[in-house]
Amino acid sequence: MFPLLASNNPIHHILDKPISGTEHLTLLGKPMFTMHMASLLIAAVVTFLILRTAARRIAVGHESEGTDRYLTKGRLPQLVEVISLYLRDTVIKPVLGTDTTKFLPYLLSLFFFILTCNILGMIPFADIQTVVGKATIGSEIQGWAVFGGTATSNLAVTGGLAIVSFFVIQMHAFKSLGIGGWAHHLTGGAPLYLLPIMLPIEFMGMFIKPAALAIRLFANMVAGHTMLAVLTMFGMMAFEGTQNWLLTGSVEVVSTIAAVCISFLELFVAFLQAFIFMFLTTVFIGQMSHHGEHEEHAETATS
Amino acid sequence: MIPFIASESASPVDVQLLTLGTTIVVFVIFLLLAMKFVWPQILKGLDEREAKLRDDLDSAEEARAQAKAALTEYEDELKKARTEAGEMIAQARLDAKAAAEELRSSNTRELAEMKTAATADINAAKKAAIGELHREASTLAVAIASRILDREISADDQQALLSESLAELGQTK
Repeated sequence: MFPLLASNNPIHHILDKPISGTEHLTLLGKPMFTMHMASLLIAAVVTFLILRTAARRIAVGHESEGTDRYLTKGRLPQLVEVISLYLRDTVIKPVLGTDTTKFLPYLLSLFFFILTCNILGMIPFADIQTVVGKATIGSEIQGWAVFGGTATSNLAVTGGLAIVSFFVIQMHAFKSLGIGGWAHHLTGGAPLYLLPIMLPIEFMGMFIKPAALAIRLFANMVAGHTMLAVLTMFGMMAFEGTQNWLLTGSVEVVSTIAAVCISFLELFVAFLQAFIFMFLTTVFIGQMSHHGEHEEHAETATS
Repeated sequence: MIPFIASESASPVDVQLLTLGTTIVVFVIFLLLAMKFVWPQILKGLDEREAKLRDDLDSAEEARAQAKAALTEYEDELKKARTEAGEMIAQARLDAKAAAEELRSSNTRELAEMKTAATADINAAKKAAIGELHREASTLAVAIASRILDREISADDQQALLSESLAELGQTK
């Protein structure tokens, strides 16, 4: 049995589990307290604390500090500053224009929250707890853990974030375009005889867009972590199949190197997927703005 | 054994509504707290930094333009000063040359005058000396004549008298 994984099935490594000790607490046949919920809560607290610290360091200090008051001290706050500046000036502002200030807090919160969830998911907290639990309290429960796992590899979590984005997009659409403008937007600027086709398509598109956000993030996280789990299980599979330590060792070396490489890729994907979720939400908000409406109609007219 | 892991129906695409609701609640609370305690400070800090950088860049650009103008002005002044200094040096050389020329001619003139005066003095002294010699010679001739008139003069006396007179004349001189 490979000791560092809570289960010998790679999919089980990704699935949400009830917090150890709360298995009997259920609601509608589902566990009431799961590890992804705990991870989500921890991610929110960690993100808030990091951002709060960064906010204090980024804020311009007292005049008595001289020109040093304009310096951001600390690497993490500097990282937050650089990311925020980049996203604001090169991603969000070109899309949202004058609406940037209004949506910047939401979009940046979304990005940093997803990023923290993705990165925390790369740390095998659950597996560490399983090993530590067995060593310290002699837990007999397979996969004993209180929190851990990648919250964003749970469709319910990404779906929840997408629902929030959906409401933000639609509320902005109603506010910016009005009911008439919103309804007109559903026609996509097409001629009247195409309305029977356009209306259902645009109406479904309204829901499909955020659903795509949720599925994209979920699928990327599941795929990456499944691959990592499979790679780390190769050694165990080789041993079970051959009972040969030399062969198992060789396989283990290769699979560990591959797992390290894939972990770097996963780190990149963690940033990329957080960015894509935030960026596409920005684009969808932008499409529901006045200028987005004009641009969309202009594009339709030219095509 | 954990029932939810062991369950055959467990699948990554199973959506648990409770987790979905928790996500929405947790994220919205996080968002509200971040909008209250985080983003106003960060965005204000970023704006102030940007304004400070923009001001500093503008000031630097202005200072650079001023320095450039000052340098051009300085170079013009230097060029002008060099031209003036050259002209002054040339003029000074001309003045010095003229002064030297004047001094030389003045000295020549003075030397000539001094030579003329010295020549005149010499001539006057010579003339005076000759006059004095004539007077002494006359006096001596008179004395000789007086002695001749007082006695008869032999040839030897005449010779002695002449020698004596000549000796006196030589002492007188």
